[in-house]
Amino acid sequence: MKPLRRRSLITGCVALTALALAGCSGSAGGFQESGGSGSATSADLRLLVNITPVLTKEFYRNLVAPFEKAHPGVKVSIEAPTASDVSATLQQQLAAGSPPDLVSGSLSAEIVPQLSPLPEEQWVKDTPYAEQSRVGGTMWQAGSGNQVQSIVFYNKSAFAKAGITDMPKTMNELTEDLVRLKDAGYVPAQTAGEWVTGAQVQMMANPNVLDTAPDWFNRRNKGEVDFARSDWSKVLEVYQSWIERKLTPPDAMGLKYQDAIDQFLAGKSATFIMGSWFVPTADEAKKSFDVGVFAMPTLDGSPAPVSGGPSIPWSILKSSKNQSAALDLLKYLVTDKTAVVAELKAEGNFRKGFDYPASPLNQAVGEIVSASAATVVASSGQGDNSAPTGFNDELNKQVQGLYLGKTPKDVLASIDSWYTSNAR
Amino acid sequence: MPGSTPAPGGVRAGDRPGPAREARPAGAAPGSGTGGRPSTGRGRARLSAFVSQTVLLAPATVLISVFMLLPIALAAYLSFTDWNGLTPDPRRVGWANYARLLQDADVGHAAVVTLVVTLVGTVACNAAGLALAVLLNRSGRLTGLLRAVVFYPYVIGPIIIGFLWSAILGANGAIAGLLTSAGHSPLPFLSDPTWAVGSIVAVVVWSQFGVNVVLYLAGLQTIPVSLVEAARMDGATRWQVFRSVTWPMLAPSVTVNLVLVLVGLLRVYEIVLALTGGGPAGRTSTFAFLILSESFRTNHLGYGAAQAMTLTVVIGALALAITALRRRAEQAVSA
Repeated sequence: MKPLRRRSLITGCVALTALALAGCSGSAGGFQESGGSGSATSADLRLLVNITPVLTKEFYRNLVAPFEKAHPGVKVSIEAPTASDVSATLQQQLAAGSPPDLVSGSLSAEIVPQLSPLPEEQWVKDTPYAEQSRVGGTMWQAGSGNQVQSIVFYNKSAFAKAGITDMPKTMNELTEDLVRLKDAGYVPAQTAGEWVTGAQVQMMANPNVLDTAPDWFNRRNKGEVDFARSDWSKVLEVYQSWIERKLTPPDAMGLKYQDAIDQFLAGKSATFIMGSWFVPTADEAKKSFDVGVFAMPTLDGSPAPVSGGPSIPWSILKSSKNQSAALDLLKYLVTDKTAVVAELKAEGNFRKGFDYPASPLNQAVGEIVSASAATVVASSGQGDNSAPTGFNDELNKQVQGLYLGKTPKDVLASIDSWYTSNAR
Repeated sequence: MPGSTPAPGGVRAGDRPGPAREARPAGAAPGSGTGGRPSTGRGRARLSAFVSQTVLLAPATVLISVFMLLPIALAAYLSFTDWNGLTPDPRRVGWANYARLLQDADVGHAAVVTLVVTLVGTVACNAAGLALAVLLNRSGRLTGLLRAVVFYPYVIGPIIIGFLWSAILGANGAIAGLLTSAGHSPLPFLSDPTWAVGSIVAVVVWSQFGVNVVLYLAGLQTIPVSLVEAARMDGATRWQVFRSVTWPMLAPSVTVNLVLVLVGLLRVYEIVLALTGGGPAGRTSTFAFLILSESFRTNHLGYGAAQAMTLTVVIGALALAITALRRRAEQAVSA
């Protein structure tokens, strides 16, 4: 090799290495120092958000556009999860040292040490479930609205064809109605594989279990109660009877969430246990029947509390170098009338003082909320009163075991065993 | 014994003729040149060669160190901690994660699923790859097109493949629709655990075997035509030619294909994620799927790292074992 060529090669390698290093350092974190402790005058804010069929990137861009217009120095970039969900993505970003400034999604209590405490101000306390979400006394997330779960959407034509005029109040009545719907030629209770199976059973159980013990998850964390000896066992027995009597699709485990939605909206199935986020999808679908909704029946027929949780909850990462700007944006997202209504409308959620023209189905969900005596936390709880990370996945896996011949007793024993070895 | 006494200067039986030694003037010290200041010239040349080699190797060394060795070392360290991926200071737990791994029923089940997918998939990928390579190892108008068609699935991302086949095999999918419209009951491709594992194997083979076809084609094209022609002139049938000429000569390709497919299938994750999500009831979780679930859904990164290290060791051991086992066959080709 001639000296000149060799020198060029070495120079090229050094230049490439320098470029690569420069590129790495430029991309690290992606933060822009906003000056001092973080003035809102100049900041690049990264938002990690939950993406769904209705909560698209476009939706979030439109949501923050007025804030950016009012704060010319602030630039907001929307980031979709790159892992299975927001929580897993955030974990990876924390490990990689490049977490976002704000995050929106269902997060476990374990992540709270990485989040900035929200100020003890009234606007934070007024957001739905801010108090229930406290971990060790700290408020760390503020939601835009109230997302209702444990409601049953139904095909009004199917109910009419089956001769059902009164909505069921007890689980037994619901089972009897499902049998009549099956006789009328419908798939009585629509379900699916993926996360749907466990979530639906959770929506059946929570109003029953949490009604008398709103802090049930907290007590389970301390080992004071367990699944096997709670009303979970009665709920699972009901669900197993549905499987045995083919009141749920026999091929349910081969269906995805979207398949379940398609089946229900095509008029093939009669009921669909889901949350209020299903309302916009049901409203927008072209269908030959009207969709109604009723509260999840209870085991004894007593009026159950509505279970819910914060919708589109926002938190600020402690690592953000733009704390002030991030807090300004969070306040805008949970207090600005236009922004909050946009968030509520997108998922058909509710919040007192933030009304919007709602569809008849949405109004029906609102009536259920108004009529309920109390509200309890949904899913796997909130804040200190919540299950360990991974509980929903484990519950889902075990509940799906019912379709493969497991008994409710086996399922609950497995869940208790998992819970005990994972309790915080 | 004839030939037992070597002639002066001759080569004894069994001796291997080595490279001719460089002629050196009598009395010259090793390493010294023959011209003026030869030592300095050779030293410069060696230094220059060393610098060139170092510079050329540096990028690859840095990349391998940063993106392979460092993560493996980090995973090995994390496997002895209870890190949840969120706290800044992982707590050391010794061998606890590895002890738990031995008692974890989910790990045992995932290992069985992975074993089935790997064994059946490796055999199927290689059988299909070799068969199609033999068929496509000829010139023709459509050969190029067919080779591209066969290779195409390998180009598609595994997540897309998973969703594509999910739309075909799902309970609401294309095949179920066809069967229902023909008056038959749908088949439980994804809803029954046994069928679901079978579906994963089939989809994995479909997505992978294109690369085996290409590798076997490359191997087939290195076989000297004269050998095949000689065998045919000796009256060998096609099967005899394949068994006695083609197959032995393909030994290096077989080794490469076996190792590549085996290692790839031991790490199957994306197709499982998109096709079954590990369900129903976690019964189609592969080892790689379990590692990711444990690490990022349950926040047990330390335990997930222990699982990952175990898989790394298994993959390394299997790859080495296959390579060693295949060495004899490859040496036969060299001979």
